Amino acid sequence: MDYKTITYERLEEALHVYDHPSGLKVLHVRKPGYNKMTAYFATDYGSIDNVFKVNGKEVRVPDGIAHFLEHKLFEQEDGNMLDKFSRLGSNPNAFTSFTQTAYYFSATENFEENFKMLLDYVQKPWLTDENVEKEKGIIGQEIRMYQDNADWRVFFNLMECLYVNHPIKLEIAGTLESIARINKELLYDCYNTFYTPANMVVVVVADVEPETVFSITDNMIQLKTSQKIEKKYPEEPKEVNAPYREQKLRVSMPLFNMGIKDSVRVRGYDLLKRRTAMNIILSAVMGRSSELFNRLYEEGLINDSFRHEASLDTSYGFLSWGGQSADPKKVSEIIGQELARRAETGLDEETFSRIKKSHEGIFIRSLNSSDIMARELMDSHFTGARFLDLGKVFEEMDLDFVNTIVRDVFHQTAALSVVNPIS
Amino acid sequence: MSDARKTTAEKLQEKNGITFWRINSEKFKTNRVDLFFMDNLEKSRAAGNAIIPSVLKRGCKSFPTTRDLELKLESLYGSDVDGGSSKKGETQIVSFHMSHIADKYTLGGEKLFEECFELLMCIMENPVIEDQGFKSSVFRQERDNLVDYIRSRINDKMRFSLIRCMEEMCSGEPFAIPDEGTEEDALILTPQKTYALYQELLSTCPVNVYLSGAIDDGSVARFIDRMLQIERKDIKKVGFADVAKEVKDIKRVDESMDVNQGKLCLGFRTNVQPGSPDYFPLVVYNGLLGGDIHSKLFQNVREKASLAYYASSVLEKFKGLMVIMSGIEAENRQKAEEIILKQFEDMKRGDFRKEELEATHKSLETGLKSMQDSQGAIVDFFLSQHITDGGEDFESMNEKIRAVTMEDVVHVANGIKLDTIYFLKPDGQGS
Repeated sequence: MDYKTITYERLEEALHVYDHPSGLKVLHVRKPGYNKMTAYFATDYGSIDNVFKVNGKEVRVPDGIAHFLEHKLFEQEDGNMLDKFSRLGSNPNAFTSFTQTAYYFSATENFEENFKMLLDYVQKPWLTDENVEKEKGIIGQEIRMYQDNADWRVFFNLMECLYVNHPIKLEIAGTLESIARINKELLYDCYNTFYTPANMVVVVVADVEPETVFSITDNMIQLKTSQKIEKKYPEEPKEVNAPYREQKLRVSMPLFNMGIKDSVRVRGYDLLKRRTAMNIILSAVMGRSSELFNRLYEEGLINDSFRHEASLDTSYGFLSWGGQSADPKKVSEIIGQELARRAETGLDEETFSRIKKSHEGIFIRSLNSSDIMARELMDSHFTGARFLDLGKVFEEMDLDFVNTIVRDVFHQTAALSVVNPIS
Repeated sequence: MSDARKTTAEKLQEKNGITFWRINSEKFKTNRVDLFFMDNLEKSRAAGNAIIPSVLKRGCKSFPTTRDLELKLESLYGSDVDGGSSKKGETQIVSFHMSHIADKYTLGGEKLFEECFELLMCIMENPVIEDQGFKSSVFRQERDNLVDYIRSRINDKMRFSLIRCMEEMCSGEPFAIPDEGTEEDALILTPQKTYALYQELLSTCPVNVYLSGAIDDGSVARFIDRMLQIERKDIKKVGFADVAKEVKDIKRVDESMDVNQGKLCLGFRTNVQPGSPDYFPLVVYNGLLGGDIHSKLFQNVREKASLAYYASSVLEKFKGLMVIMSGIEAENRQKAEEIILKQFEDMKRGDFRKEELEATHKSLETGLKSMQDSQGAIVDFFLSQHITDGGEDFESMNEKIRAVTMEDVVHVANGIKLDTIYFLKPDGQGS
């Protein structure tokens, strides 16, 4: 078998990469001594891919269709895949994000059998009018569950504030109305467009031989001639859609999410580096060691639930933070002032080095988990990067790079989303 | 070590009511230490115990503010020194924790274990004190935060309905006391009373300590030595929860809320003591009924009737409870309840196939093996054993689960009694 091995000496990890003739990439990391064997089979197709060309004709499909398809793939002509995995004692699952649909299992035995089943069923959709209709009840309840989830709502309301056109503002599972319009034919159109080997990746993190992984893949993948996929995302202005949005739900105290858009589009290693820089910036400005965090905390304006995160993909990017607060508008005002100040001053060398070191430690710590490893390998693959190159990112990152981003991003207008308690 | 996959907890020492365990597993990139102070869950102490870690994290003699502590932790490669509280059955557990990347991954040859340990001891032994109590400004803030936290339990409707169901079931029993106490308990806490409570916790509660990772023997010895210098008095007896309860009438509780989806929870008494021989069939029973995707609840409520996105059962093994939960439309409540109760009755009659039993065995084995890939899950497994006097390790637990027969499951099934049906009901005004 002809595959590449990239070793990361300091991390004591090695990545094996196999290029299947179909264009499918196969990534494998061996974790010696680990019981759990995790494999993902995923496609570069998520909730934001709702406008694309089928046979040369541009279509706009109902919201939530990628997620709907994810539910339906478990169903096969000879029974439900969940049952088959479960008979082996393994845990199958799947999820749909903004940008990808991933099918996976974790097991501690019978790697080959589980892995073959995964590769097989994802290539064999079996949709009928009846089984599509049946799923609407289940997904309907999933949607209803999220309508009551305040964390989820406050986040999507922030996306609605930040984005004018980009489909990231749409609910991943769609709405009760949009899923009502989904049928077998539309699902097959989506499947045939996006579930082609060249648009997919296989990721395995398990204590098995790389040859085992790659030869099974070789045997199982049917070569499909794939057309070039033409996804279309609308133009997104630099400005926010709305500065503020509010909703009332049954919560004990207000919940807020605040964010700013990053309009610079990058991919690959550059994306990994930019995202890492953005996370360092957020920790420096509003992390637990920052003056800002401690001021807000001591004034009783935020509590332990406060979090921040940088999200960056090839078609969108934003920084967001939030938690519970008795007075989100006050918090927003204080943070706004601090961002404006930081846009001028940037970070200092001491803070930057300390936080970089801390983030590097947290990265090394994350390698303990085969689940995180598999997920990150997959996520980064779809943005054209390699997760384990983060080690190199930390080596190369310097203060100038970070401060260029601070000056650029912190000049953008922030938006605020609040969920208030029903009084 | 001969077998890298075998995970064990080796007792290093037991003295002054402190038991030291070393977790043997060499594959991780981090070292960690977990300390668990055990207390009986009681209304007079629950809120006080819960607030202690939050106050201690606000600073100590050498690092007087949270910010000083956090700055130090960042410079130690994002190390973690933390505390929290939880309950297992009717035992309240106040925990302290430190973890850091193994020294071989550092760039400057730092000794992270020693540095983290010093930080941990500082927050445990030298909190900022004024007027024989915790620093009052900090204390008041943390008390406000605790009250907000207690109130915020309504935010997550799934968890809220589960907790409410168990509270209603166990009303009048210690188990009904929330992990963090109640709002009224929190509001009467003072810096002085809470500091005295902390002294009591430090000196009288039994402690289990777990050391995981590649910590060298010298560091372990120094650590134990240092821990044994903590002044200890007569050690409190911490008992087990009472799992046996005769159910006379089934209790029905409906609560209205402005929500879209109704949450149906059915609470049962298993009458099984953790660590008793019936415990293993109970675990298998739960897997068959609602613990897994091949389970009766998932198959019948979700897959066949399309009534729900989730339908499952969970065990609270320390108190011998089982709760079945599902999120449904209010109008489907009757139908869902009937289907759920039918599955429960079918289990009593042994209406499940041998293949399903085998699948459950395997699934539980997968779970037990997977836990051994996480330092935190390993510690939690052994802590659960140690506080129930269960002597199992991962392998013996698996063997006992494997040995469970259909008859064993039916036997256990017939001892389980429905106690409470709780419904979080949409009041029709949801958005």
